[in-house]
Amino acid sequence: MALIVAGVSHRTAALDVRDRLTFRPSEVGGALERITRAAGASEAVMLSTCNRTEVYLVEGAADAGPAVWEAFSDRLGADASPFGYVRRDREAVAHLFQVASGLDSMILGEAQIHGQVRDAWESCRGQAGVALNRLFQSALAVSGRVREETAVARGAASVSSAAVQLAKQIFGTLRGRRAMVLGAGEMAGLALECLVDEGVNASIVANRTHAHAAELASRYGARAMHFEECWQELPAVDVLLSSTASPHPVVTVDRVRAAAEARGDRPLCILDIAVPRDVEPEVGALGNVYLYDLDRLHQVIQANLDRRRAQLPDAEAIVAGEVERYWQWLTGLQAVPVLTRFRSRMDAVREAELAAAMRRLKDVTPEQRAAVEYLTKSLMNKFMHEPSVRLRAAASNGRGLGVVDAMRYLFALDAEAPETADATDEPTTPTEDTAE
Amino acid sequence: MIAIAHFLAITLYVAAAALAAAPFARPVNAPRRSALALLASGVAIHCAALAMLAIRAGDLYVAGLGPSLSMAGFVLALTLLVAELLARDVSLTLIAAPLAAVLTVAGNVVGFAHHVEPSGTQSAWLAAHIALSFLGIAAFGTAAAAGLLYLFERRELRSGRFDAIFRLFPPLATLDRVNHVAALVGWIGLTVGVVLALAYSLEYGGMRPEQLAWGVAAWLGVSALALGRVARGWQARRAAIWSSVSFTLVLVLYVVLRVAGPVGGKFH
Repeated sequence: MALIVAGVSHRTAALDVRDRLTFRPSEVGGALERITRAAGASEAVMLSTCNRTEVYLVEGAADAGPAVWEAFSDRLGADASPFGYVRRDREAVAHLFQVASGLDSMILGEAQIHGQVRDAWESCRGQAGVALNRLFQSALAVSGRVREETAVARGAASVSSAAVQLAKQIFGTLRGRRAMVLGAGEMAGLALECLVDEGVNASIVANRTHAHAAELASRYGARAMHFEECWQELPAVDVLLSSTASPHPVVTVDRVRAAAEARGDRPLCILDIAVPRDVEPEVGALGNVYLYDLDRLHQVIQANLDRRRAQLPDAEAIVAGEVERYWQWLTGLQAVPVLTRFRSRMDAVREAELAAAMRRLKDVTPEQRAAVEYLTKSLMNKFMHEPSVRLRAAASNGRGLGVVDAMRYLFALDAEAPETADATDEPTTPTEDTAE
Repeated sequence: MIAIAHFLAITLYVAAAALAAAPFARPVNAPRRSALALLASGVAIHCAALAMLAIRAGDLYVAGLGPSLSMAGFVLALTLLVAELLARDVSLTLIAAPLAAVLTVAGNVVGFAHHVEPSGTQSAWLAAHIALSFLGIAAFGTAAAAGLLYLFERRELRSGRFDAIFRLFPPLATLDRVNHVAALVGWIGLTVGVVLALAYSLEYGGMRPEQLAWGVAAWLGVSALALGRVARGWQARRAAIWSSVSFTLVLVLYVVLRVAGPVGGKFH
């Protein structure tokens, strides 16, 4: 049993290649069936997101890599292997654990990949077996541990989420807070969506073109206004989000000062995500006004990413420990049936030889027969003890696969059981080693 | 035994503060449960120490400067524990736990000399006064600690420094809420405590002017804060500044009165 992952990701392939190699959920089943048939694989799962397409396989006798590249190349219309990578066994396990934990993501520690790995596994349950089921289950657990025990996924990593993080640091929960949005472009819409997801009540959308304001306002149940009339509403809002295309600041000190005075001691958070800036920098000096422009938001993101990167060693240590644990389980899984077969084979030989010996002996009392049987069992257990212990140890320290294969070969455990119960009364000939 | 228990309590308070400060050294969350467990253990051991002191003195309460300081440290730690449990945070521990430790250390340094205390109704009256006054001062101290944290964090947020304080302190709104609740509790505790003290002095005499001056000053400070918050809509920066400045002035006044007071006086 060998694990393999073959695929392309943002680290190895450009966006247009990744785009063409992205499989829709409805296509995954058919593609996997083709790959598993061509590769002779026993288990398969495909993970396909905008940043990566990977196929995890439990290989049969043949190398499964070419089957994956063939399927990918057909879809790409060119040889896909130069854009990809292949990892095997422990490296394949470590790769999935890193992917699920967001350690291999474009934005370190991003959370979405956890759900994507879970969805991929769920959608391929029919083609996954004991090894891959356990692998993906472990990957999700590792991801949870990494996110819980390290800060690798903490802190905002996008402008919108940084804006939310800052607003939350001022107001605590954002539920029920009122927001006013200046501008109705794409950035304004994205940032507003983030705020609304946190429970902010989008009350006003103001824009020079009223129709655009009305369109954005209708999505969130807000009121659309012209710029000129929105300032009187400023004292009533907690968060002002500004993202206009104006070449000059539209939020002036005088306008905000009047609003801030009317608000008393209540803080006002102003998020200026426009380039050039919409808010006069002097606004930030007003008491109880917290002004953040794009530079500040990027500072937050950078600080968060620096902290995430500082946590990488801890996260990788968790991954390494869990890889070992999975690998021990996998190798142990393969050692158990071999040990069972080894023991039953030896026991069959022992019983056959015992029966032959009993037939040759005359007038054996039950006590004598029991003593001889005890002797044979005892000898067999002693002979088998050391190989069994060593096989288990090899399995637990990760060198199991080679030793398991060697044992299978040396004792012909893959072959049909030989005729051990000799039909003749003749005992088997002692070997030179054992004949004394 | 009393000294050992005090030493243990002080160690636990300092350890709780150290745990709360640990995230400043490494970018991880504060071990909240461990910090609260240490704080709770410190409070329990401190309570036992004060109980032993009361048993030794043969009365339910213990007067004298040393025991008073120790009691102040205990009440502050207890208030802190309740506040942190309610706020689900340990940021206040950063400031208030060392303060509780310092008060307890001061109590131990001054010593637990035995004073002859009144008994009967007089004793119960005095005990109620001391307990409520300590509660009021501890809550006032908590409001000041929350105010101080608010001012630190506000400065960070406005200056665009997004380091440990930004990551680890609770939101400004949470600190403001703690300040609000603590101000009200402090006002109630000190109001009743001061009224009891006045009534006690009228009934039994013995109240010293410096005690009265300090008690009234503390009451004025917390009353202005509570009144400002409730009646004038103070919040955020204004309340934070008032609570931290007025509490600091009350502490300074205490030291001044202690230093300037009569030698061997019973001001506590």
